[in-house]
Amino acid sequence: MRVTLSVNGKPATIDVEPRRTLADALREDLGLTGTHLGCEHGVCGACTVMLDGLPVRACLVLAVQAEGASLLTVEGLAGEDGALHPLQQSFTEHHALQCGFCTPGMLISALDLLNRIPNPTRAEIRSEMSGNICRCTGYNSITDAILAAARSLTQKD
Amino acid sequence: MTEITGVDPKGNESVGRAVQRKEDYRFLIGRGHYVSDLRLPGTRHVAFLRSPLAHAKINSIDISSALEADFVEAIFTGESDPFKSVSLIARSALPSYIETAQPILAWDKVRFSGEPIAAVVATDRYLAEDGLELIEVEYERLPANVSAWSTPAEPLHKEALDNVLLERRFQSGDVKDALAGAEVVIERELISNRQGGNPLECRAGVALFEPGDGTLQFWSGTQVPHLVRNALAELMGMSEAKIRVVAPDVGGGFGTKAALYPEDVAICMIARLMPGTPIKWVEDRAEHLLSATHARDHRYLVTAGFSSDGTLLALKADVTCNVGAYSVYPWTAGIEPLMAGGLLSGPYRLENYDCMVRAVATNSSPSGPYRGVARPASVFAMEAIMDEAARRLGMSTIDIRRKNFIGPQDIPYKMPTRLVDDSGHYERCLDKALELFDLDQFLEEQQRRRGTNEPPIGFGVACYNELTGLGRAASAGPRMPFRTGHDACTVKVNPDGTVTVFSGVTSQGQGLETTVAQIVADGIGVDYDDVQVRIGNTDESLWGFGAFSSRQAVIGGGAAQLSALVVRDKVIRLASELLEIDINDLILRDGKIWVAGEVEPRLSLAEIARVAYLESNRLPDGMEPGLEATRFYDPIRGAFAAGVQIGSLEVDVSTGEIRILKWVCVEDAGRVINPAIVDGQIAGAIAQGIGGAMYEHLIYDGDGNLSTGTLMDYLIPTSGEIPEMIIGHLQFPADNPLGVRGVGEGGTLGPNAVIAGAVADALGILVDQLPVTEGAVWEGLQ
Repeated sequence: MRVTLSVNGKPATIDVEPRRTLADALREDLGLTGTHLGCEHGVCGACTVMLDGLPVRACLVLAVQAEGASLLTVEGLAGEDGALHPLQQSFTEHHALQCGFCTPGMLISALDLLNRIPNPTRAEIRSEMSGNICRCTGYNSITDAILAAARSLTQKD
Repeated sequence: MTEITGVDPKGNESVGRAVQRKEDYRFLIGRGHYVSDLRLPGTRHVAFLRSPLAHAKINSIDISSALEADFVEAIFTGESDPFKSVSLIARSALPSYIETAQPILAWDKVRFSGEPIAAVVATDRYLAEDGLELIEVEYERLPANVSAWSTPAEPLHKEALDNVLLERRFQSGDVKDALAGAEVVIERELISNRQGGNPLECRAGVALFEPGDGTLQFWSGTQVPHLVRNALAELMGMSEAKIRVVAPDVGGGFGTKAALYPEDVAICMIARLMPGTPIKWVEDRAEHLLSATHARDHRYLVTAGFSSDGTLLALKADVTCNVGAYSVYPWTAGIEPLMAGGLLSGPYRLENYDCMVRAVATNSSPSGPYRGVARPASVFAMEAIMDEAARRLGMSTIDIRRKNFIGPQDIPYKMPTRLVDDSGHYERCLDKALELFDLDQFLEEQQRRRGTNEPPIGFGVACYNELTGLGRAASAGPRMPFRTGHDACTVKVNPDGTVTVFSGVTSQGQGLETTVAQIVADGIGVDYDDVQVRIGNTDESLWGFGAFSSRQAVIGGGAAQLSALVVRDKVIRLASELLEIDINDLILRDGKIWVAGEVEPRLSLAEIARVAYLESNRLPDGMEPGLEATRFYDPIRGAFAAGVQIGSLEVDVSTGEIRILKWVCVEDAGRVINPAIVDGQIAGAIAQGIGGAMYEHLIYDGDGNLSTGTLMDYLIPTSGEIPEMIIGHLQFPADNPLGVRGVGEGGTLGPNAVIAGAVADALGILVDQLPVTEGAVWEGLQ
């Protein structure tokens, strides 16, 4: 089936079997391997992407369901000039990533969190981010990073 | 041994600073290069048919319908060569050890649910999985046994009718006599829960056999690429010179990726059978939970005697480790039992020790290395004994530990298992942890709550010694045909003065590109940003055993330091000739040559490197062109890292729910190269330890079916469960070139003991079995 969609602001058309997941379409058909697969059953959150402004597990969405949708993946976070998004910058400053495998999903979930709650508390961050598994950091540095990014983003506004 | 105080370096050194990691930018923008990201033209995908039964004879495998399907390109089973003639046999010279032959694809018998039987090759993973459904296997069920402490109805291997693959006794002093004279004798049976490392990236591999020159390239998410190349050459009858193993970015390992698996060998063999076609296998989580290595399924029967003042007089133990269906390659079934018996007494002085350890095969996924190897369980056992002895003697759990610690005055301390402890700073760790924890305030609050209806609180403590960076003497125990004591590193100053390092270390998130660059930058005297580190490629680095045993900062870091110093010497010798100034008056710093006492540099490293590579006419007599050095390092023994964790929790007595209130860890990491990375290792390891203590449990039913086969059942803790942590440091430099102690695993050692101890303290119930779940606590309260 032909699917027309927008990925990171650019139009894209793919031809996929109805059973193909959005994650596989992004990775294999569009070459956007920044979206990672950690469990393929919707628990770990590594494949989280934004679909029309809301976070989805790309392993649980079929590519055909994204017809006409606008997607944001980790590749779309930094500026055209390569400048990091404040969340990305904060993640490196707070050592909120080790192996980097959960990071794309963490960043997208964190972006969604800050879209909804611009000034979250630590407890809110812990609760909101509990749909994304990180096996390396123990989460405290991720909480620090999101808190600091929230501050820097709200100060800019 | 003097403690290093203050973390920040003076001057411009990068060691000691939380420099920006070299890995971060590519990971943050989605441009990491993990194995599954590799997209070679013409790639074919593999899916494995896995046994649905835990123990069965295979009567027949019928692939005829699958072969007829036009979307199936090829099917391979274990009945034919090369698969049939090769098996994974982990070797050890220990007297009682029984080898097991693990097939690449099982063909006569399956020994655990999830064992690979056939491989289907197709143009994508979906079609390969479609092909699996067309294969018919006729099984004849055999009785399955998944418990290592029950009598098997049917042995797994004909060579071991009782399923025991290894037994070893550690003995020192006279336990019988000492127990007879003890004031208090404690007897406990303690059981720890089966878990898996579960890196967020599952296993993956891409193999390509190039028919033009007969070379095999294998991209693998492995922790041990050099060992993999060595093993593949032997197993496939190939020259090592024609095999290149590359571990690109790897999404976590934790030991799970330190084994060579049948699937790895299978895809390499398939690649050779399909020359020129890249063969790709990317494991999914269901496969991972079923068939990647498991760990920590142990039982400890312990008897310990104490004198009236709390001195540990004797320790007698019988340790059984469930090692799964095969002796894990190449580490052997001894990996967990030998570690458990070797370090059971932990940081405590002990003369009389008698410990029998055994490895028992069962119909479950093979047990392998997992961060902390056995010690999360053995520390749980030892600390449970300490807590109970304190209670019986009317001492505090803190005082009894103080009474028995190996101290600085005992160093070097020969443990009853002949391992040599070079640390002895356990009491200092405990003191600092108590200060950060604020025990007095806790005890006051505990007392206050006792008179109210508020949830009871308790605290637990775990003291441990982690043997890190094992050199050739310390790694002798398992008597494998290789000694993992050394690594190599090559440091090269390029003609423009920048530096490229080819290191034998590997990284699965530990940031080794960063750590090695910091070491080399300071070793030579150049800016951190001018050093690039290349790792994980057997064609680039000379040798490295890889990531395990918290060894790489000590051993790989030591090799990097030694190589850098040799290069620095040559730079200074050449500068001395060019400037006609005595070498003792020259300093190499920030990539420039300075004369001592002068304010302006005389030469840049780039100018010297240019001479070294491009103007041999200016080199002194006898000096070779180039600026490069390769050195090995082996610390011979190891570096013990002391650690203490203290945690408190409250229990909802109506549900058994546990809420962690506070968590403190103090470790002696020796000299800290990068404080952010060190803290990250400790925090991540504690989180994994808490997962194992409270949530993570791989459970087989009586027929050997894994009933925790998804992440909805196997519960990895999230940001909702893991507490804030307070991490403190001591820095007593170890006896190696950098003064470092390994820090990768220690964090996992404490949580079992802390949680069990804290629940016991809060509720007065003994915890004998892990994990400490809500349900278990609730039952304990009834």
